[in-house]
Amino acid sequence: MHNPSEEFKIPIGPQHPALKEPESFSVALRGEKILGVDIRLGYNHRGIEKACEERTYIQDMYLIERVCGICSHSHSTCFIQAVEEIAGLAVPRRALYIRTLVAELERIHSHLLWLGVAGHEIGFDTLLMYTWRDREIVMDILAELTGNRVNYGINTIGGVRRDISSIQIQETLKAMDLLEERTKYYIELGLEETTIIKRLSGVGVLSYEDSLHFDAVGPTARASGVKRDVRKDDPYASYGEISFDVITDTGADVYARTIVRLKELMESYKIVRQCLKNLPDGPITVRAPRKIPAGEALSRYEAPRGEDVHYVKSNGTDKPERVKVRAPTLANVQAVKHMLKDRFLADMPIVIAAIDPCFSCTDRLVSLKDDDKKADVMTWQALHDYSIKWHSQRGVDFGKLNKKLQERLSK
Amino acid sequence: MENNIIQELVKEFNFPETSIRQPRERRISLEVGLDKFTDVLEYLMKHFNFTHLCTITGLDEGQNLSFIYHLTKEGGILINIKVSVPKENPVIKSIIPYFAGAEIYERELVDLFGAKVEGLPSGNRYPLTDNWPAGQFPLRKDWKQDMLDKKAGENA
Amino acid sequence: MFNAMFSMIIFPGFLFLAALSFLGEFIDRKIYARLQNRVGPPWFQPVADFIKLLGKQEIIPTEANQTMFKMAPLFATASVVTAFFYIPLWTPEAMYSFNGDILVVLYLLTIPTLSFFIGGWYSTSLYARIGTVRSLTQLFAYEVPLFMGILSSALLANTWSLTKITEFYVAHPWLWLMNLGGFIISLIALLGKLEKTPFDIPEAETEIVAGAFTEYSGKLLAFLRLTLNIEMIVGAALLSAVFLPFALTYNPYLDFVIFLIKLLSITFLISLARTVVARLRIDQMVNFCWKYLVPLAMMQLLLNLAVKGVMIK
Repeated sequence: MHNPSEEFKIPIGPQHPALKEPESFSVALRGEKILGVDIRLGYNHRGIEKACEERTYIQDMYLIERVCGICSHSHSTCFIQAVEEIAGLAVPRRALYIRTLVAELERIHSHLLWLGVAGHEIGFDTLLMYTWRDREIVMDILAELTGNRVNYGINTIGGVRRDISSIQIQETLKAMDLLEERTKYYIELGLEETTIIKRLSGVGVLSYEDSLHFDAVGPTARASGVKRDVRKDDPYASYGEISFDVITDTGADVYARTIVRLKELMESYKIVRQCLKNLPDGPITVRAPRKIPAGEALSRYEAPRGEDVHYVKSNGTDKPERVKVRAPTLANVQAVKHMLKDRFLADMPIVIAAIDPCFSCTDRLVSLKDDDKKADVMTWQALHDYSIKWHSQRGVDFGKLNKKLQERLSK
Repeated sequence: MENNIIQELVKEFNFPETSIRQPRERRISLEVGLDKFTDVLEYLMKHFNFTHLCTITGLDEGQNLSFIYHLTKEGGILINIKVSVPKENPVIKSIIPYFAGAEIYERELVDLFGAKVEGLPSGNRYPLTDNWPAGQFPLRKDWKQDMLDKKAGENA
Repeated sequence: MFNAMFSMIIFPGFLFLAALSFLGEFIDRKIYARLQNRVGPPWFQPVADFIKLLGKQEIIPTEANQTMFKMAPLFATASVVTAFFYIPLWTPEAMYSFNGDILVVLYLLTIPTLSFFIGGWYSTSLYARIGTVRSLTQLFAYEVPLFMGILSSALLANTWSLTKITEFYVAHPWLWLMNLGGFIISLIALLGKLEKTPFDIPEAETEIVAGAFTEYSGKLLAFLRLTLNIEMIVGAALLSAVFLPFALTYNPYLDFVIFLIKLLSITFLISLARTVVARLRIDQMVNFCWKYLVPLAMMQLLLNLAVKGVMIK
């Protein structure tokens, strides 16, 4: 019979309710105390880097955008910045402003999403429901501006694909006011609610020195007092022309990371307003060559989770020689082991969540063909027919509904 | 500032003009032999406070495998240190003593490029699966996807 | 004989209790949802869930101790239903009563926790084992303030019988106000017993999946869930009998409605609590109970002793 005072290992993942993506943490426990954590990554490796070498730059841009669903704009912008640098393209200012605008809206949606997830991890589902409802506001704005809720596809080599109108500007400004008010409420809540403070403060401590030693990035590093923000250090897009503060905190725990993210939201609203106010006139794109001259470039970008790094090497053809993606979670995940040592099992989900992990970003490609099964391909028509059949079996007749709709429209 | 770093580096290590250059503002590219690599790394950390390792990029350049270490410091200056080793025996030194965070990047080089990293502690592989066939390194240029499919077919 | 069987199995026994517990679950879930800006489930959802679970395949781990694993939910259900018979509902008299039944009820209400422990432990899942150890640890933290809170009310009434307690407070209206502190303490401790946020530590989803219930499925899980729901109703009924014995009009229909209102108000308070707080850690929970709840319960006891002294004079 098992004795609780002896050491034993429990698996958190690859499939576990605390993790929204498959990664494996094997936790050695004595009672409730964590003795050590063994992390196995790579379950989401899809081989995007190799796939990029076989596609053209434009195709790559859309592929790279799909590295991650939450920070899709981050990856695509980071990638094309490198390509534009090699090609020597001067991107119009209006395009840069629009990129910055979408980047900040993405940060807002990502931070709100994180806040909800953090609430869920500590058993505070009400926070999850509230923040995700408010997140819909910014998702709607993103859909309005770019046409999509995620994977915006607004970038193109040499600029952006969509302009924004004055009506859209008004709507976005209105949404920012609303979100700012809500965020103020969350900051107040975070500062006052006892159970939140109890569960977050003093948990997952990563000191300033450790933060440097483990190369932490983004809010994780900034909450340990490291003033590292690519937007300020290595300005890209239009960040050089915009005034904002880099938020840091010296708490070094999960609570500090929460506060940093909340205050960053306030900065993002500021940046969005400035972008909209100072939006320059002019074209939104320049013509980009299909073949990119030989060269190499390293591009950095401050994604919501931290510094995103893309390295692109070209060889004069229309396909890149090498694309390297380093997503922020990969830099932060190594510090997790350190943060969890000697903590309680109950702290585990929130400590992992506090780096805002995105394992799809972290792992990237190798497409494996399944030899045994033939790929199940469905044509559009077949899918359409299947759906009609499926519904009619359940008593929904689209023929009748269509007729009704026709009648109503003709009236 | 960038010029200052370049001058100091040239003075200290006698780099030829061709191996060090500044492609743009806040970027320095440097090619260095494996023998001098750790000295350069230590020098940069000590004298110019390069405290952050962005990542390590692996490149397949035909005869050689090259590894680019992207270091940065506060203020945004980023230095790309490129080390080349022959493909037959791609041995590099681990930089975990300087940057603990380098561990996972080095494991990636091991899995995807077949680099041999001296001083890398044993541990879980990343990012490939545990049953990945030995001697297949997907990011090398001569690797094609059907190599893996054939292998899988043989096993089946 | 027939009457006794009827009242045990149908009204106000098991079936009535089950119906009440479904109502309780619906109210709890609906309030929780509405407070979170969600729509919430329709009224029949708890019943639908129960029926669906009954129809699901039952998977028992091969490593598990089959007998214990299957018996645990039955023990739990049986004990909470039995406890219900000794609690006065809308009449001052319970179905059965004797001097000392208050202790029997309190101990019967401890049995579910122990059954979950046995079931979880013998399922041999690691998550379940951590969960069971947590629920036992928690048991030692909340039982003391819960017992002290309830006994303080009994002390004032000078009896160990729930029926007599109700009779005493009916005879001395307004005296129940003395026990308001005890009511709040017991309500918080009850949250621990029912494993509701902030004390849902033994089944913290994001850490240990479902705690002791991780390996349960199908009918067994259905009965475990039913037990938890019944436990909530029995707990609320106990609190309403001990702490809120007012407004008894001796009109059975009116009293029944008042009883339901009391019960549902307590359910509402439980839902409210889990809406506005986060889950605590087990060490924080134990600390909280011993540092704050126990001293407060002690003060309630002293207060009641003093009041009793005054009254006797």
